[in-house]
Amino acid sequence: MSLWSEPIERLAPAVRAGKLSPVKLTETYLDRIAAIDDRLLSFIHVAGDEALKTARAAEREIAQGRWRGPLHGIPIGVKDNYLTHDMPTTAGTTAPGIAFPVRDSAAAVRLRKAGAILIGKTRTHEFAWGNVTPPVRNPWDLKKVPSGSSGGSGAAVAGGLCAAALGSDTGGSIRMPAAVCNLVGLKPTFGRISRDGVVPHSWSLDHAGPLARTVTDAALMLDVLAGYDPSDPACQDRPVPDHAKTLGRSIKGLRVGVCRNHFFERNQPEVEQAVEAAISDLAAAGASVRDFTIPLLEYGLGAIFAIELSSSTAYHDVSLRAGRVPHYQPDVRSLVELGRFVSGPDYLKAEQYRRALMDAFEQVFADVDVVVGPTTPITAWNSGEWTVDVGGRQESVLAASWRFTYPYNLTGLPAISVPCGFDRDGMPIGLQIAGRPFEEITVLQAAHAYERRHDWKDRWPSL
Amino acid sequence: MKAGPTLDPWKDVLGVDVAPERLHENLGAYRDILAEIVKLRSLDLTDVPPAVIFEPTAPYRLKGKR
Repeated sequence: MSLWSEPIERLAPAVRAGKLSPVKLTETYLDRIAAIDDRLLSFIHVAGDEALKTARAAEREIAQGRWRGPLHGIPIGVKDNYLTHDMPTTAGTTAPGIAFPVRDSAAAVRLRKAGAILIGKTRTHEFAWGNVTPPVRNPWDLKKVPSGSSGGSGAAVAGGLCAAALGSDTGGSIRMPAAVCNLVGLKPTFGRISRDGVVPHSWSLDHAGPLARTVTDAALMLDVLAGYDPSDPACQDRPVPDHAKTLGRSIKGLRVGVCRNHFFERNQPEVEQAVEAAISDLAAAGASVRDFTIPLLEYGLGAIFAIELSSSTAYHDVSLRAGRVPHYQPDVRSLVELGRFVSGPDYLKAEQYRRALMDAFEQVFADVDVVVGPTTPITAWNSGEWTVDVGGRQESVLAASWRFTYPYNLTGLPAISVPCGFDRDGMPIGLQIAGRPFEEITVLQAAHAYERRHDWKDRWPSL
Repeated sequence: MKAGPTLDPWKDVLGVDVAPERLHENLGAYRDILAEIVKLRSLDLTDVPPAVIFEPTAPYRLKGKR
């Protein structure tokens, strides 16, 4: 195995024991970025000297017996919508007249405190408002998209250019790139990780979280990132358990729910087969599986559009009036302008719907511990393709790709995407597991139990 | 003399001044989204409170952080 392909769960003990130098590890990733990121285009800024300086400091500290934890000396990518004091932030835009504060986001502060090495900024779809992330390419097939909006983070981790990365998720932007790049992507409960210093897209839907190679790595990231921060008005003051330590337990007796409407009505056949096989695996591991339906899901797309469009337009209002929006990318410009068509009553109806959907899931979670299904109905699509075949019907990628992820943004429930196979073209497929609010631990345990039954995480794209 | 209505609902009702060709493009792009929102409107949610966040103590939580 190459150093760059090792997960944090194996790197950290070696770093702690002094068997692996953080400097060597950082150089390995920097060399790999230099060698292949001209094809992936996953980084918009590489920290280089600054990362090596931090690595040398980490090495000294660890040698002096001051190991801070599993992320100490580990290079992590930062999505370009998180503010950082020592790297530029663009949120993916080149529009003139837009600048962001030069300070650390709460997540960057926590990572630095844990001793992580921030190796660079990964590309985002402009203002995190899209699911393609141009010009980033999917490491599994350079003709295809890495999805988005955290597509740079997805491509960087999947390409072995950093050990893990930060993403943000408003309708699926962590879980979709994870699914199509063979990674683990965790959107925690709304309020679990502070979004202070993350460029807002839609205040009540935005979530911060990690993209990682393994479930344990995602748990290690969550353990560092989670916790109360009064600077984020949505952040909740709740105890944070040690997620990584609880992994490895049996899931015997775990009650797994499968929502048979919405999530299984229209999928690419190979996606559906892989997910059904994963559900059987969970049953074989001792879980009890029961089906249910939530008819209300049929109305969700209108609700998330109403909230996301109007929120985004409110955020960009000054830029709209200042005439900057025509300089945005055409797709983002349209979405920002379209928010003006959503009426106040439509917005509030969407918020009423949201509460009704939260209630419906709460009733489901009286009988189940987790809900599983596909992360996306489709595997990665070709760059420049705007419609895809889904179950024999042509559908826009905008409508199809996030169909299974946005319900958990509307409800704020924790949800993870974990690799569950490949289609006939060798493109990855994701299994989504969701849980009750602030029960990331149960979600991670179920994902870990599934992950251990296969070698999906050990497969790498040939680059 | 006060200007009368321009018979442009975007300008008169929303106060949004958009070039006609741009408005046409955006309305075309909005058609599918509007269909979903119209579907949402058909739900009777009279007795469901909206999930908006209003927390009057929020500014006080930041005391000392500014």
